[in-house]
Amino acid sequence: MPLGPASAPNRLMFGPHVTNLGDDGRAVTGRHVAYYARRAAGGAGVIVTETASVHESDWPYERAPLASRCRQGWADVAAACADHESLVLASVGHFGGQGSSAYSQRELWAPSGVPGVDTREMPKVMEAEDIAAVVEGFAGAARLAMAAGLAGVEVNAGQHSLVRQFLSGLTNKRTDPYGTDRLRFAREVLISVRQRLAGGVLGLRLSCDELAPWAGITPEQAAPIAASLAPLIDYLVVVRGAIYSATATRPDSHAAPGFNLALASRIRAAVGGAVAVFAQGSIVDPLMAEQAIADGSCDGVEMTRAQIADAHLGRKLGGGAPPRPCILCNQACQVLDTRNPIVSCVADPRSGHETQDEAINDSGDREHTGPTAGSAVTPVDLLVIGGGPAGLEAARVAAAHGHRVRLAEASDHLGGTAAVAAAAPGRENLAALVAWLESQCRRLGVEIELSHRVSPGEAHAHPGPVVVAIGGRDGEPAYQIVAGGEVLSARQFLADIAAGRETTKGPVLVWDPIGGPIGISIAELLSVRGPTALAFPDQIAGQQLALTGDLVAANIRLQSAGVTLARRCVLRRVGGDGADVEDIFSGEMRTIPAAVVIDAGPRLPAASDDAEAPAGALTPVTMIAGDAVAPRTIYEAVLEGRRAALGLGQVKRTSLTGAAR
Amino acid sequence: MTGSRYRFLLRPLRLGPVVVRNRIVFCAHLTNYAEGGRPSAQHAAYYAARARGGAGLIITEEQSTHPTDWPYEKLIHGYDPAVVPGYRRITDAVHKQGTPIFAQLNHNGGQASGMYSRRPVWAPSAVPDPMFREVPKPVTSTEIREIIDGYATVAGHCRQGGFDGIELQCSHSSIVRGFLSGATNHRTDSYGGSLADRARFLLEVLAAVRAEIGPGMALGVRLCGDELMAGGITLDQTTEVAKMVEDSRHADYINTSIGVATSTLYMIEASMAVPPGYALFIPSAIRKTVQLPVVGVGRFKDPIQAERALAEGHADLIGVVRGQIADPDFAAKTRSGHAEDIRLCLSCNQECVGRMGLGRWLGCIENPRAGREAVPLPPPVQRPRRIMIAGGGPAGLQAAISAALRGHDVTVCECDDELGGQVRIAARAPGRAEFGDLVRNQLAECRRAGAALKTGVRVDIDLVRAERPDVVVVATGARPDRPYWATANLPAGAPEICDVRDVLDGSANPRGRVLVVDDLGFHQATSTAEVLADRGCEVELTTSGMVAGQDLGITLDMETWWLRATRRGIAQTTDTLITGVVSGGVTTRHLATGAAGQQRADWVVLAVQQAPADELYFGLKELRRAGDGPAVHRVGDCVAPRRAHAAVIDGERVGELL
Repeated sequence: MPLGPASAPNRLMFGPHVTNLGDDGRAVTGRHVAYYARRAAGGAGVIVTETASVHESDWPYERAPLASRCRQGWADVAAACADHESLVLASVGHFGGQGSSAYSQRELWAPSGVPGVDTREMPKVMEAEDIAAVVEGFAGAARLAMAAGLAGVEVNAGQHSLVRQFLSGLTNKRTDPYGTDRLRFAREVLISVRQRLAGGVLGLRLSCDELAPWAGITPEQAAPIAASLAPLIDYLVVVRGAIYSATATRPDSHAAPGFNLALASRIRAAVGGAVAVFAQGSIVDPLMAEQAIADGSCDGVEMTRAQIADAHLGRKLGGGAPPRPCILCNQACQVLDTRNPIVSCVADPRSGHETQDEAINDSGDREHTGPTAGSAVTPVDLLVIGGGPAGLEAARVAAAHGHRVRLAEASDHLGGTAAVAAAAPGRENLAALVAWLESQCRRLGVEIELSHRVSPGEAHAHPGPVVVAIGGRDGEPAYQIVAGGEVLSARQFLADIAAGRETTKGPVLVWDPIGGPIGISIAELLSVRGPTALAFPDQIAGQQLALTGDLVAANIRLQSAGVTLARRCVLRRVGGDGADVEDIFSGEMRTIPAAVVIDAGPRLPAASDDAEAPAGALTPVTMIAGDAVAPRTIYEAVLEGRRAALGLGQVKRTSLTGAAR
Repeated sequence: MTGSRYRFLLRPLRLGPVVVRNRIVFCAHLTNYAEGGRPSAQHAAYYAARARGGAGLIITEEQSTHPTDWPYEKLIHGYDPAVVPGYRRITDAVHKQGTPIFAQLNHNGGQASGMYSRRPVWAPSAVPDPMFREVPKPVTSTEIREIIDGYATVAGHCRQGGFDGIELQCSHSSIVRGFLSGATNHRTDSYGGSLADRARFLLEVLAAVRAEIGPGMALGVRLCGDELMAGGITLDQTTEVAKMVEDSRHADYINTSIGVATSTLYMIEASMAVPPGYALFIPSAIRKTVQLPVVGVGRFKDPIQAERALAEGHADLIGVVRGQIADPDFAAKTRSGHAEDIRLCLSCNQECVGRMGLGRWLGCIENPRAGREAVPLPPPVQRPRRIMIAGGGPAGLQAAISAALRGHDVTVCECDDELGGQVRIAARAPGRAEFGDLVRNQLAECRRAGAALKTGVRVDIDLVRAERPDVVVVATGARPDRPYWATANLPAGAPEICDVRDVLDGSANPRGRVLVVDDLGFHQATSTAEVLADRGCEVELTTSGMVAGQDLGITLDMETWWLRATRRGIAQTTDTLITGVVSGGVTTRHLATGAAGQQRADWVVLAVQQAPADELYFGLKELRRAGDGPAVHRVGDCVAPRRAHAAVIDGERVGELL
């Protein structure tokens, strides 16, 4: 694919995103290097590194790289990717008024006095010398990137960007030449960057729909903006989102994959082939990507999350094993959060942890270089008890490493709680991960036995190691159930739905003390059937969804569906007349009519009555993984299943697979 | 000994093998200063500043005892031997001041997640924490042994690192608390059941640590007096546990706290909404049961208050944490008879507590050096310059302090009759008076530093031309602004509209049904709503956000606000945008459903973004450009209207720059 002065080996882009792999000094680190190099080795056509701030006035999150401190890190990334064909560029940008003053301890800079939507912090209206300094910052960053051996830069005018803030009537209310001509700042940036690029590639990531039509950039306005800026650049990435739609660029599975293709197509028509246009927007299916290029919607496709899930996506497209799917859950890869979580993936926990986690000797991945490669491991006979994500991953990895694996599942289907949760709206993708794990297990020769409950005797008789991945069980109610009160666990309810059993009639109360996706999705499912209430102890429904980006959207869906939100309360009693909840501040009790209460509260480890039992009872070499240790998310299940498998052949007795490195 | 007013507070005390020179303790608290799991140079500088300032005893933040414990990113991994040189750096710096320093050891148990450790969280039972909401793994007896060994290992690292003692955090966020509390310990083995059984883990840890450190180091136990939650630890239980600790003969003192970090944090690090000394009943009760010295904590911000608590026999030592963050010289000023010079903590929680939960380094709203102790100050200037500061709010006053301390000739000109800017107005709200100490402290510091303060003087171009200062620092603040819907031609019968400032300074007197519009998410709207409710108005607070007063949670003011709002009958409406003014009220749009609506109101009170008062700055900039003016800087709200801390750091930065 030609890209201005250079060319990329294919049309697949690994786009810029927050990773938190940076360090206290705002540099690009060895962890970044390993993260990008793995995608280069995996066949990405274009890699654009995490956006670096071009000026000290911008420190949007603690681990945000600062361009002036990135030269060495960029050079290391370039060197590590040099053996592969990927074109590697640096994203450069400035968060403007969407940044944070918490780290810089100074004022934010923006075109106009429009406060941050989350922080409500008023920025400083940039003076002429501030504008000149930032333009110079962009140019200096471009010079550094070229000096570091990168192929060019991508200027960020996307979701979080000062350049977009200047382009938009939503955020640019200036009356000077930067306001009367809102493209002026972008033009100055691109022209000065080009001057320092010395033959490098110049890309632009542009929000072409701010989803705020009253004043923001609309698709209609974006077309002439793109056309006007196209002569200054080599490629354009079409994205959407702005200040009032902070999660619109990489939404979770509630947004249809490829939601931006029509927009990309429209912009591509507007630029008239002058520059290559990349489409972006929850594109995780290679066939969708291929079709979009084939039908002329775009010239290339950004598939960032798909390559976080499978670093070797590009190579696998050439044939062979199907890639590990991205299920658009956003549970581990969306990390713009003050806690600085490391970018990762529920399906591949090694993502983001490349320098720490052992690679898997998977013929599909072909990246194994660790000490346990090939013959270093003595093949063993492994029994995996439980076919949820933990058990399946343990079986898959063990089989890939040459062990003989038998997996026994007590129920008549694989996937455990993940398969059950997939019955709820917006969560269907969970089934795709289960299906992939199963297909890999079968391809690798894992012997799978359904509807078989392993007895302690059978486990003891097993000659080799055993992985116990038997999941969790329903929690104990922390409230009273009196005569006539009916309570169903979330898992039981979803299992009934999955099996096509009608389980509830009349008004339902969903009790959600967690605030994750389970309670929310059940309330949504129920709301189309009848009166539904959702009770929770927080101010906001689905409080834990902030990380996945579904928080605001979920609250809108719930309220639009007419779900009654019982905020700030605790469930105390379930009776025939309804459920009594207590206000956490006033202590006031009230009754919510409910024929049945669905409890989406925490589950317990399957054998938690006796903390000693799981460790010792089964066999001398037993490892426990996933919800059987403590019910958590798919991420922990896959991680611990994998660790259990990687520990095989290097016999080690531990009750805690988490301790195995 | 000088300062005879403080007969109890300044009297030395023996804690096992260690003698403290006074009763003022800089108790353990998170700082987020760790780098890569190790103590940093900033840690050493931070503790050394309080040692230099005369603290009797310093106790470090928690040193984690096991890899399963990693609840927040910048935790110190005490179990890693690589921490020892960092420990040595801290203890050397503190010992140079003749001050003893103890290390706090801890494992947070189930009050954590696996986000950083990528391991299961360990706890006595599979009871998820109310905040982290992750189901922990119930520990086996082998794992219990492993944790106890971890405590001993870390105690060994602390001994090698030169600490004088160890404190075991068994209180507000700890696996030891997890075992002690019936709410989180459901075990059926010998570590669960009766209080004696639930205390078994604590006593085993205590014995293991004492065995490791021997008799040469002090050993303390910090207990939670009341978890303030159903089925949790009560004071009766805690006094019993304190007795068990004493009877073990391993401990040299007892420290105390109240609440659980992850469910009742607002009572552990209470804001100004909770009365000073609120947790004193805990040491008081424990002290009646045991002979060991007992530390009391809980919003001790003034030495007189601490002296009285000791004199009345409630405690033997007093923890002063935020008071010494705000003023590292708290103890020295007390000892030298200058207690009135102490920069009093406001208990605003904005930059100390408020930054901890967000993973950011610890600072202070009024002490811009907090968190930057390791960064040296620029030296005093050789050639003092004449600095005119236009505006006597927190930004102008801090610029004056900072510049005057560097040796400049500083004059602050405030157009109003009183100094303090908007802080003075904000402090008029119920329960917010302590916020006004910011101005009190700044004015005292200005006077000590020799800055001249003038009120009733408005700086304009003519005055600058006449006075010919070398530099003008513009700190002219912000003025109330109005959203678009409140500026158009209002229909007949429209509600009266005013700003929160007008209510707080008394220039407006809303009546009847009042709608308070919260566009700022902090105390402005909630404070004003309380004032109005107290004046008899029917008050509804409305916001476009998902929560009214959204940032009150960060400063631990949310719980007490809700209690007060409920009691005062203040209604709260969220997700609602005001779109226009009509006769008798406003029109609205619900942001989640898009539904249009109306709200009835006689008055609308605006807590909305302000406009910078920047005319003087741009005028002077123009003058400078024309070659006829002094150098000009601007600080605080006239740059961009923000919160008080932004004003203080702007002022400090410019003062250092001059």
